Amino acid sequence: MTACLEPLRTDGGTLTETPLFFQRDDVRLFCMLHAPEDAQPRNAFVLSHPFAEEKLWSHRVFVSLARALAQRGHVVLRFDYTGAGDSAGSTAEASMETYLADLSAALRVLAEKHPSVQSVGLIGLRLGATVCALFAERAAVNGEHAFLRGAPLILWEPVIDGEAYFQEILRSNLSTQLAVYGKVVENREKLQEKIRAGGVVNVDGYEVGRPLFESVAVPTLLPLSRKAHDGPALVVQVAPTAQTKERSDLQELARSYPAGSFARAVEQPFWREIKPFYGRAEDLQQVTLNWLEQRDVQR
Amino acid sequence: MSSVEAVSFTNPAGLRLFGTLHQPAEPDASLPAVVLLSPGVKMRVGPGRLYVPLTDMLIELGYTVLRFDFFGLGDSEGELEERQLVDVYNHIEVGRYVGDTLAALDFLRTRGHRRFIVGGLCGGAITALLAAERDSSIEALLSLGMTVTLASNAATPAKYLSARELESAKRHYLRKIANPRAWRSFLTFKSNYGVIWRVIKRELFERKQPLPEPKPPDASAPPEQRGNANPLFPKAFFTFLERGGRALLLFSEKDRLHGEYQEKFALPYAERLKAHMTQIHQHIVANANHVLSLHEWQREMVEVGKRWLLSLYPVAAR
Repeated sequence: MTACLEPLRTDGGTLTETPLFFQRDDVRLFCMLHAPEDAQPRNAFVLSHPFAEEKLWSHRVFVSLARALAQRGHVVLRFDYTGAGDSAGSTAEASMETYLADLSAALRVLAEKHPSVQSVGLIGLRLGATVCALFAERAAVNGEHAFLRGAPLILWEPVIDGEAYFQEILRSNLSTQLAVYGKVVENREKLQEKIRAGGVVNVDGYEVGRPLFESVAVPTLLPLSRKAHDGPALVVQVAPTAQTKERSDLQELARSYPAGSFARAVEQPFWREIKPFYGRAEDLQQVTLNWLEQRDVQR
Repeated sequence: MSSVEAVSFTNPAGLRLFGTLHQPAEPDASLPAVVLLSPGVKMRVGPGRLYVPLTDMLIELGYTVLRFDFFGLGDSEGELEERQLVDVYNHIEVGRYVGDTLAALDFLRTRGHRRFIVGGLCGGAITALLAAERDSSIEALLSLGMTVTLASNAATPAKYLSARELESAKRHYLRKIANPRAWRSFLTFKSNYGVIWRVIKRELFERKQPLPEPKPPDASAPPEQRGNANPLFPKAFFTFLERGGRALLLFSEKDRLHGEYQEKFALPYAERLKAHMTQIHQHIVANANHVLSLHEWQREMVEVGKRWLLSLYPVAAR
């Protein structure tokens, strides 16, 4: 289903924003297409949101980036993974494989709606960045998705160690238990046992099950070995201050790409509940757009 | 088979708002349409996608449901100027998004709907009420965690703690009294001294005094003496009730909002509320947190909402 909408007029030009639903197998997914009006863009971007409530906290940062990219003449597709936002399904059924399949379906929709596009860059945050990196790598190794070849790959705070990330997810469940019962009723081990036995664990309203646990909770979720993706890659560390120490794992990840760069952006962790309201991540957005400009990614 | 459609409409400032319109397989024309309003800065599915199971239940009963993003939030146009969340919340609580809500009703009128139920969590609930004060086609409020206070006073939270919160804080500190880490926090200036002082003060002095009769705050008093009650709430709620509106007030047990509703509204206005008690259905979800994050709490919310709707609009029971 597609809604036909009036163009959005901004200081940077006229854009169209088209929400639509599309299918990935039997799952109905939602996306929003941002595009410059009256243009036949060659370059596009797909934005990949983080997991669970992090998606909602960072939503507006993604919208702002999508509009900024569209003002520069690019087509941008934002979409909701299975069990997120307006897409159907549940996170209890989701896994890294379903996320990769969702991303693949999103690329297909983009190609259908904008046949002029020849190159598609991927931009993701946290687990969404990891999905992008794994997808790009698989495509490069298997020779699939030709429009990813030589295209930019931008990873904001990607999750490298999936095991540590999963512990972080479980911590959120433990915090809820403490707030509600005044004590931890089910500790980490019990929660993990429950998932292994086929049950689900609730994380801020999202149920996490065995498919996600088994496919994400591994220390080498995003390997630091040499990559096949041949496009320019940017790994961004989001640091609360300019003095924050640079993360060596992210630097190593950047070096693993033939054309990889590492950068830092000074931002608060806007994917969590924090005191400031994050309508946009100014520094992160600027670092990203400057890097793209330097690589002469034009329409 | 039910359907969902991506829609947009403009608000009074001409900003385009995005949403999704959910239609049941067999829409029941005798039922009002339902509009679910986003809480705080979250987009139209609500925290933890709380509105997804709620929408599913409504569709099953035959209701048309609209979820949309307020300006400056979610996918909608516009930019918010605030730099702090608390300021965004405060502006919501005094009606920033009433115009957007009325625009949503106008959009639904273009689809043939004339009567409405409006609801939502927290900021969505107070926005629904403030819109209902202005638009009599809103027949019922489906309120989850209605907020009767202003977030702007969160800068000095200890000052406005309800009796229930103070009791809870007392239990919390008593549990930690033999904990060396708690004492280390206390001695290194990491504790919340404002809250500790309020708890001690209440135990030592206030309990011995007879409790003053709860009464509505003096509207003419300066803001610092009026406490943190939202001055818009009582007028809006009574306007709504006096024209026959019905309200589901669902609260979470482990949330401060129910205590605040009782202390800052229900008790001071008890006499005036008496005449309207049959119009209000109150329910507290045991153990639940503010956002009803566990699915068992969500299921209870959905079941209570369903029963309440069936009592108001029995035709939907078919």
